[in-house]
Amino acid sequence: MIQDYIVFVGVNIVLAWSVYVILLAGSLSFANGGFMAIGAYVSGVLTVKFGFPLVIAALISGIAAGLIGVLAGFPALRTRGIYLMLVTVGIAVSVKAVIESIDYVGGIQGFGGMVGTTPWHVVGLVVLVGSGLALLSRSPLQRILDAVREDELSAASLGINPIYVKLTCFGVGAFLAAVAGSFYAHYLIHVSPDQVLSVFIVLYAVLGGTNNMWGPPIGAAIMTLTPEFVRGLEAWRPTAFGVIILCLLLIRPDGLLAFRIATTRTKAVAGSKPKQST
Amino acid sequence: MLAEQIINGVVLGSMYALIAQGYTLVFGVLDKLNFAHGEVFMLGGFICVASIALGASLPIAILVTAIIAGLLGLVVEFIGFRKFQSPDAHLTAALSSFAIGLVIIDLSQKIWGAESVAVTLPGTLQTAAVSIGGLRIVMLRLAILVISLLLMLALYVVVTRSSLGRRIRAVAESPTKAALFGINVTRINQQVFFVASMMAGLAGLALALRTGYASSDVGFTFGLKALAIMAIGGMGDLRGALIGGLIIGVLEALAFHWGLGQLADVFVWLLMIVILLMRPSGLFGTLISKEVRA
Repeated sequence: MIQDYIVFVGVNIVLAWSVYVILLAGSLSFANGGFMAIGAYVSGVLTVKFGFPLVIAALISGIAAGLIGVLAGFPALRTRGIYLMLVTVGIAVSVKAVIESIDYVGGIQGFGGMVGTTPWHVVGLVVLVGSGLALLSRSPLQRILDAVREDELSAASLGINPIYVKLTCFGVGAFLAAVAGSFYAHYLIHVSPDQVLSVFIVLYAVLGGTNNMWGPPIGAAIMTLTPEFVRGLEAWRPTAFGVIILCLLLIRPDGLLAFRIATTRTKAVAGSKPKQST
Repeated sequence: MLAEQIINGVVLGSMYALIAQGYTLVFGVLDKLNFAHGEVFMLGGFICVASIALGASLPIAILVTAIIAGLLGLVVEFIGFRKFQSPDAHLTAALSSFAIGLVIIDLSQKIWGAESVAVTLPGTLQTAAVSIGGLRIVMLRLAILVISLLLMLALYVVVTRSSLGRRIRAVAESPTKAALFGINVTRINQQVFFVASMMAGLAGLALALRTGYASSDVGFTFGLKALAIMAIGGMGDLRGALIGGLIIGVLEALAFHWGLGQLADVFVWLLMIVILLMRPSGLFGTLISKEVRA
């Protein structure tokens, strides 16, 4: 039981972070469910059919998903955010349709036989990704991301290439989603196209707040654990999700998606000495 | 055989176009994507099921579906878009409409169950067919095609010719300037949402009648594909949505004819990605002057 909680919460935290990383550069991705599916299937095939060790298979699938993300994100990232949103929806739907039509991985029935994820894998992943993000939020890179997100034009005038920055974030987000997806699949033993394509991933991140790196994991943890402990809520999960998000958006229209109180910035404004680069 | 497939494709395409025009109308006026639109479309089928189950005749069911779907559009506008009108609220509006869509799906599954529900019309309305030049065409499909084309023609005439259409175009051009000229922008938004959702509801009804059942996942498959079609045809362009819908409908029917049915979905979305790369204004983006843009 406790194992289940650790694995599911951990995987969802990493997924929420994968959306957060893409949001850092100001784009919203609905494709992370698709990248997660790519991770689950690619690593599943590598471990089950070719006998790769789990961690290496997860890394390979992450790199594959990252490449696909960069390739697919490239066209849309050149234009405004709304086109990217469309393309990300397209990626998610296409990934699902492609997986369903490949008989090699079981088509619509799904693919099984993956084992090997222990809670330690997931905890390790969360710690790694979390410390990476914590380092990032204290590094100059964070300010580049802030600049691109708030105003692409002025960022470009300062010599930052916004497309390059956004594309990198998109690739990293896809990578994280795929790694989380592969650990998830190797815990569940069996995955089907419907199961991995969760529309909730974006909501995890947004619900917790995207002002800093701690919002998404809190959102993911609350959203994963509450239905387990409150009887009857499981059946109403989508409605509860939808209503809560609507309320939050209506009460604090800027709070959820705007980065007004980013931690790094308030520190900079307060004039505290920046630490030696870490 | 092939000709029949093409006719089926045109009927399918007219339904895509009906939904895509709703997306495009909202996008043209508000510059926002309405992710709840596909679910309003899905609900159209269920409203039709419910009203027929309550003993309504087909014309009454159509009327009821149109009105309820339109009212639902007003709700979507009020909850999901009223507060998020600033130009940089793309993400917020998309998320809020997405959340509304989630709630609609979940509630309709609570009411009608997750399985699809059969729709049966009295008499032979669903099976009656005519043969024209050796082709057997189901009357219902013909009726769907004619009615949706008429609806779209009416919408086009209203948007380009009437005074309401002038006001809609003014708001699409610039809400602030339109407000300065005494146009009630909120009212125009409501009217646009009402019309768009009404068309989506009717498309849902048409799909339910054509396939013989209403299902709660068409919003995610069929409805979302119309979003891609909107982008293919040209965002915010009514004619683009119509032509895009028909092209995709026919291509999809041909794909099924040649046994490539499963990849038709992928094809549509890949085409959309390619078109966004080559010309973000869509296939017909430059053919139409900005003035006529709805």
